[in-house]
Amino acid sequence: MPQLLTNKRLILLLLGVILLVALISFSLRDRGNVSLPEQIIKDAVGAGQSVFSRPAHFVTGIFDNVDSLLNTFEENEHLKTRLEEFAGVQAEVKDLRSENAELKQLVGKEEDLRDYNPIQATVIARNPDQWEEKIILNRGSNQGVAENMAVMTATGLIGKVTLTTPTTSTVELISTLNPNYRVSAMVVGGKKDVFGLIEGYDAERHELLLKRIDANVELKKGDQVVSSGLGGIFPKGILIGTITEITIDEFGLTKLAYVKPAADFSLLDHVVIADRLMPEVDGEDNGVTGDDES
Amino acid sequence: MIRFLIPLICLVLFFMEPVFGLFSPLNIGGELNYIVPRFLIMFLIFLTLYYDLKHAMFYGLFFGLLYDVFYIDIIGLYSFLYPATCLAAAFAFKRIPQNLVTATLLTLVLLGVFEFLLYQFFLLISLTGMPLGTFLATRLWPTMVANSIFLVMLGWVFKSVMVTQLSERDTKIGLY
Repeated sequence: MPQLLTNKRLILLLLGVILLVALISFSLRDRGNVSLPEQIIKDAVGAGQSVFSRPAHFVTGIFDNVDSLLNTFEENEHLKTRLEEFAGVQAEVKDLRSENAELKQLVGKEEDLRDYNPIQATVIARNPDQWEEKIILNRGSNQGVAENMAVMTATGLIGKVTLTTPTTSTVELISTLNPNYRVSAMVVGGKKDVFGLIEGYDAERHELLLKRIDANVELKKGDQVVSSGLGGIFPKGILIGTITEITIDEFGLTKLAYVKPAADFSLLDHVVIADRLMPEVDGEDNGVTGDDES
Repeated sequence: MIRFLIPLICLVLFFMEPVFGLFSPLNIGGELNYIVPRFLIMFLIFLTLYYDLKHAMFYGLFFGLLYDVFYIDIIGLYSFLYPATCLAAAFAFKRIPQNLVTATLLTLVLLGVFEFLLYQFFLLISLTGMPLGTFLATRLWPTMVANSIFLVMLGWVFKSVMVTQLSERDTKIGLY
């Protein structure tokens, strides 16, 4: 190779750059839709990826097991103290559940925002360059996954589905910085439920922001925040987190609460996608709907 | 069979990256550290230095495209940066002493530049609002440390694989 950049090569390079800039701007414009070739690539890479993620989950599973073995004694002590309390709570839950069912029957109400059809999925990859908080699951539209469905772990809500292909789906985590990411939520624990919107994430505190709470409402630290289901897509009652601090928002009209997420976002492996049984509305949870998107 | 060794290694590294990405962010002393596995680009830079620029750029384009489509949905970002980094590596390596130590150092420097360019791009399209100081402390630094451990461990393996592949190709030159 006598010279790395001759004139002809320079022209080719420039043409390449122009082509790529055009491609980038084209694909940035509609990232929500996947074209057919993209879908094929995604499915193919997804299949390869699940082959590699299975042994990885196996290894992390072993580490987790060893970790929990080391904590066994301490945990056992702690759990023993909770056990008696648990028996009482369980009896109460059973009582309340049957009472709830009876009352529902009495008023003839069958559908509930809380009911959902769980779809079990495994995380096959996390966006390795981590600029966006995204994970990829091994379930797609073939298994009934659709855009905007809620995704959670045993401990709480972690995000929602943003893209689906026949065999994979992409989930944007709730800890994203995307300003259009909203989840309608409510605070339970007081006399009345308080409604608000989870809007944004404080990257320094690692806490979610619960905005648009009525300024006259009194909130307490430690209150639990759950999804309200009023956004039209998420089921009701998925735990999001607990309130750690309450302040006034930047305009001074409504309150803002910092919410510590209940779920842990690192080392995710098994998640549940919630397919709500009640009819869903078009659009994202409490966001833009079909028509006014612009 | 042995002819497919290099694409096979590329494929394995490509699939390893997100698996290692699952461990990140790493919580050390209350501070979240983002570790981005960059195995493939390091391998591609080594491929440029010890095998052939053309092959490296072709693999870079191919795997960059897969990366773009599967993970970030912006086509053209990695598929441009991977070959461009290989080109820069070939350009720089002719001007420095050529041995494994300088090759490793050059790879790490290019990796830092690569990471920084990506940061600038995501800042530009406002997918991130991370200030420069935070980026350097919680992303670039842990990423560089983790990847340099990987490279120091496996760099000589990469080199020996390529050198044997190259000598094999030269002996069978009539076949190509």
